Amino acid sequence: MADLTGVDVEAMGRALGLGIAADDLVEVTHRLNAFIEALAPLAELAPDGPEALPAPVDPDRAS
Amino acid sequence: MTSPPDDLAFLSAAALARLVQAREVSPVDLVELYLGRIERLDPRLCAFITVCADDARRVAREAEQAFALGGAAGPLHGLPFAVKDQFHAKGLRTTAGSRIHDETPADDDATVVARLKAAGAILLGKLSLSEFALGGTVSFPFGQPRNPWHPDHHPGGSSGGSGIATAAALAAFTLGEDTGGSIRGPASHCGVVGLRATWGLISRHGAWCASWSMDVAGPLTRTVEDAALVLGVLAGHDAKDRLTSRRPVPPYRAALTGDVNGLRVGLVRELTHVEATDPEVRGAVLEAAGVLTKLGAVVEEISLPILDVSGAAFMAICDSEAASAHQAWLRSRPADYDQATRRRLYTASLLPSALYHQAMRARARIRQEIMAALGGHDVLLSATQAAAAPPIASEALPVTSKPDAARRFFGHRAHTTPYSLAGVPAISVPCGFSSAGLPIGLQLAGRAFDESTVLRAAHAYEQATAWHTRRPPLATG
Repeated sequence: MADLTGVDVEAMGRALGLGIAADDLVEVTHRLNAFIEALAPLAELAPDGPEALPAPVDPDRAS
Repeated sequence: MTSPPDDLAFLSAAALARLVQAREVSPVDLVELYLGRIERLDPRLCAFITVCADDARRVAREAEQAFALGGAAGPLHGLPFAVKDQFHAKGLRTTAGSRIHDETPADDDATVVARLKAAGAILLGKLSLSEFALGGTVSFPFGQPRNPWHPDHHPGGSSGGSGIATAAALAAFTLGEDTGGSIRGPASHCGVVGLRATWGLISRHGAWCASWSMDVAGPLTRTVEDAALVLGVLAGHDAKDRLTSRRPVPPYRAALTGDVNGLRVGLVRELTHVEATDPEVRGAVLEAAGVLTKLGAVVEEISLPILDVSGAAFMAICDSEAASAHQAWLRSRPADYDQATRRRLYTASLLPSALYHQAMRARARIRQEIMAALGGHDVLLSATQAAAAPPIASEALPVTSKPDAARRFFGHRAHTTPYSLAGVPAISVPCGFSSAGLPIGLQLAGRAFDESTVLRAAHAYEQATAWHTRRPPLATG
C-alpha cells in the first residue's frame, strides 16, 4: 500500500476541521504512515477470534 | 518539637504510620519534614506543579489535635502524600500538565483523593505529568521533571512527578495513573514500587481521562507493603464511577507472608528475551527469576507471540480514545499543546476507524491469551521497561522518517501495554541498576482481581533483595 503524502494528510485533517500547520505536517505524515503499517499485522489475526467487547467491565470473566 | 532528621523521610509509609500511631512522630513534624525537602530539592527535580503548604500545615495541626483528643485515626493518619495533577483536589487547580488548563479550583476531590484524605493522609500538592497523561511531552509548561538518579535522564511517564517524589522522599507515598504503563514506567525508571490494579477496582471519578477503557489510578511507594496499604484504601466500588467493581476488597497486607513456595511463575520470553530488551535489563530480570526460584517458586519460561502486536494495538486504542476527547481544543487551541502531544493527537484523529476496531479485536485476543497463561501460572514475570531511563534530550529529536516514527512510537511500549490491554494487575519493583547507575524494574502481573498474589510475590522478592533500600543521589542534597 502506498504511503500517504503530506497533501493527503492535510486534506484529511481539513475534512475534520483540523488545520494541520506546515510545521507539523511532515511529522504527522510520518507518524500516520508508520501507525497504519504497525497495525497491518492485526488484520492477519484469525478472524474467528474473540469479539471486541464494548468494555472490559469484568476482565475476570472476559475471554 | 524539633523536626526529625531526613532519614525519617525515606522510611516506608507503613513504618511512618506506626510511628504516628505510637506518637513518636506527629503529623505536623512529617508535613514540615516533607515541605522542607520539597523546598530544598524540588527546584531541581520539578516533581511538583502545585504545593499546598498552608493547607497541609492546617490539616496536620487538625490531625494532631484530633489524635490528641482520642479521635479515630485512619490507616494513613498523618501521612503526607502527593497526587498526580490528573486528579481533582478540592480547592486546587487541575492542570493535567498542560497549558490548556483551567485555573479554576476544583469543587471537590476525586474519589481516590477523598478516600486517602478520609484515611488520614495529608495532601502536600500535585505532581508533574506528561501532558494530558499521554507521554512523550517535549516541553513541560511547569518545568522539566528530572530523574533523581541522574538529572539528565527522564523519570518516565506519564506519572513522572509521582515517581520522582516517591524516590526522592518528597512525600510518604504518591498517587499516579496508569494507562499503558504510566505508573509502572516511572516506578521502574525511578527505582520505586508502582502498582497498576485490575481495571475497575479503583474509582476514576474526578480524574482527567486519558483512555477511558484502560485508565487505572494507583500508588507509587517505596515498598510493596506500602502499595498494599494504599491499595486497601483506594480499592472498592464507587457509586460515582459505575464501572467500578462491587467485589469485596480483601486485606492486601495480610497476603504479604513472604511465602512463595510452589508459586507458579511464567517468565514471558517476549517481554524479556526479545532483542528490544537491553542486556543489562534482561540480566537483572533473569537474576530476579533466580531469586524467586531460591525462595521456592517454580519459574518456567513461556511464550506469548501475540504480544508482538500489543504495542500497536495499545496505541491505536489509547490514542483514538484520547483524540476523541481533544477534538474541540485541537481545532481552537492547537498552539497551546506541546508539539509532541499535538502531533500525536492529530495522527490519532486521522486513523481509520476500521483499524481501531481491528485493534479492539486484537485486544480481546491478547486478553484471552494472557488469561490462558495465567490459568497455568500464578504470576507472569518480565522486565517493566526495555531499558533504563533514557536521556531527556533523546526524546526531543524531530521525527525524520516513517521508520524513525515506527521505532520511536510503536515498539518500546510493549512491555507494559499487554497487561493494560488485558485489564489485569501488574506491579513494578526495583530489581537492579544499570552500569550508569539507573534503576531497573521487574514486572509481575497476575489474574484479574488477584492483587494479593501479585503483591505477595513482589513482597517476597523485595524482602530477599536490597534494591529498594538505595537512595538516589539527587535526593540527598
